[in-house]
Amino acid sequence: MTDDDAFGPDMHPPLGFPEAALPAEDQDILEQLLEGRLDPASAPPGYGGLARLVAAATAPATPEELADEHLVMAEFRAAMRSHPPTLVPRRTAVPRKVFTMKAAAAALVAVLSLGGVAAAATGLLPDQASPVAEQATGTTGADAAAHGLGKAATADLGGSANAGSAAGQGRASAVGPDASGTAQAGLCRAWQAGQGADHGSRMDSVAFQALVEAAGGADNIAAYCEDVAAGSGADAHRQSQASPPSGSAPPTSVTPPSSGPPADPGPPASTGPGGHGPGTPPTTTG
Amino acid sequence: MIGPGFPELLAAAQSEDEQAFAVLWRELQPAVLRYFQVVAAQAAEDLAADTWVSVIGGLGRFRGGERAFRAWVFTVARHRAIDWRRQAARRPTDSVPAERLSERPAPDDPIAQVLEGQSTRAALALVAELPPDQAEVVALRVLGGLEVAEVARIVSKRPGTVRVLAHRGLRRLAQRVEAAGLLGGVTR
Repeated sequence: MTDDDAFGPDMHPPLGFPEAALPAEDQDILEQLLEGRLDPASAPPGYGGLARLVAAATAPATPEELADEHLVMAEFRAAMRSHPPTLVPRRTAVPRKVFTMKAAAAALVAVLSLGGVAAAATGLLPDQASPVAEQATGTTGADAAAHGLGKAATADLGGSANAGSAAGQGRASAVGPDASGTAQAGLCRAWQAGQGADHGSRMDSVAFQALVEAAGGADNIAAYCEDVAAGSGADAHRQSQASPPSGSAPPTSVTPPSSGPPADPGPPASTGPGGHGPGTPPTTTG
Repeated sequence: MIGPGFPELLAAAQSEDEQAFAVLWRELQPAVLRYFQVVAAQAAEDLAADTWVSVIGGLGRFRGGERAFRAWVFTVARHRAIDWRRQAARRPTDSVPAERLSERPAPDDPIAQVLEGQSTRAALALVAELPPDQAEVVALRVLGGLEVAEVARIVSKRPGTVRVLAHRGLRRLAQRVEAAGLLGGVTR
């Protein structure tokens, strides 16, 4: 699903004045509003109501909005206990507390609905995943797996909330193929097949987030898959994980606008730090 | 914004300092929750919690400054919203497709609430009535405190498109408020 699909194209042209007709000073006012720099009391005529609306939307936090703090902190403690950030090697670090019973149930659904593919994809037997996954991609299986797994994962958003992020490791190893393992070839093939087409939805799916993670970001998938195709495989990839570039350019593909190839519509940042194990040599290699 | 103390705070949170993480959470949680109240109002609380589970999971590997952190958190949040919409679209019991939620009129008159009571929820409900792409961009800019380029990356649109969507959204909101006939008494 592309972004436009997800949120709908703008089917409603602006009522009244078209964009071009909006004077520069009005655009300035709108920018001030967007940046929260316009006090309703000093808003120019015609913008008072809008300024009040923005002020209301950005009012200080209410106690209700912070009511979940103890829950989130409990999650934090649990995750830290089971997944000390600096001690556990990345590939084996599974935040078990995060991988809740719900996530387990989701994985089970995946197994039941997808049989061998899902079983292999659970990552329980990463080395055995490849034949099945590759076979699956020979047909449209990988897609089915991706979608099916995506469904299974989203069926539980408590535990697998990690989709695309690092707790995502729990998730990725639980319901998504281990894209840095031997399933990579199949995922790469599926990804390449989808380039230019339904790319957005592929990038969103659980399976492809695993690929994003393995590649070290959506921007790197093309290069990563070339490596895979060339047979350099996971070893080359693991070396690349320790490479300085990804270390200096944090998981936040969000940050440096220049680093994003315009051709990639995917949500690279989605995997952010999570999918970006490769971007964290300090913790994995140090 | 947390400001100059952010790097230290982040490092502490990454070193399992719960209090440090709590500061980060309190700083961003209201914005995250409000973002969901615009783009996925029915599930806002759950989706916000899911977002934080993801953030906790990825925290140790995050590198970057405060702006990057905000952008990352909202990137994660957006994905939770997309997942939710997808799921809602499949759910047969959902009588109103998620994509059309924004076209549903709000139960009360949120404009009056905004103008008179400064109600945050009412303001968010008005933003949620915008066409979805406008609503999202306005939410990310106003609530997320993100810049055009950051939003553009998050929603995978060009910066110019993001700017236009935000302006259209605001103007539509302004017209909505004016059309309600309440503006005169309040602003002048």
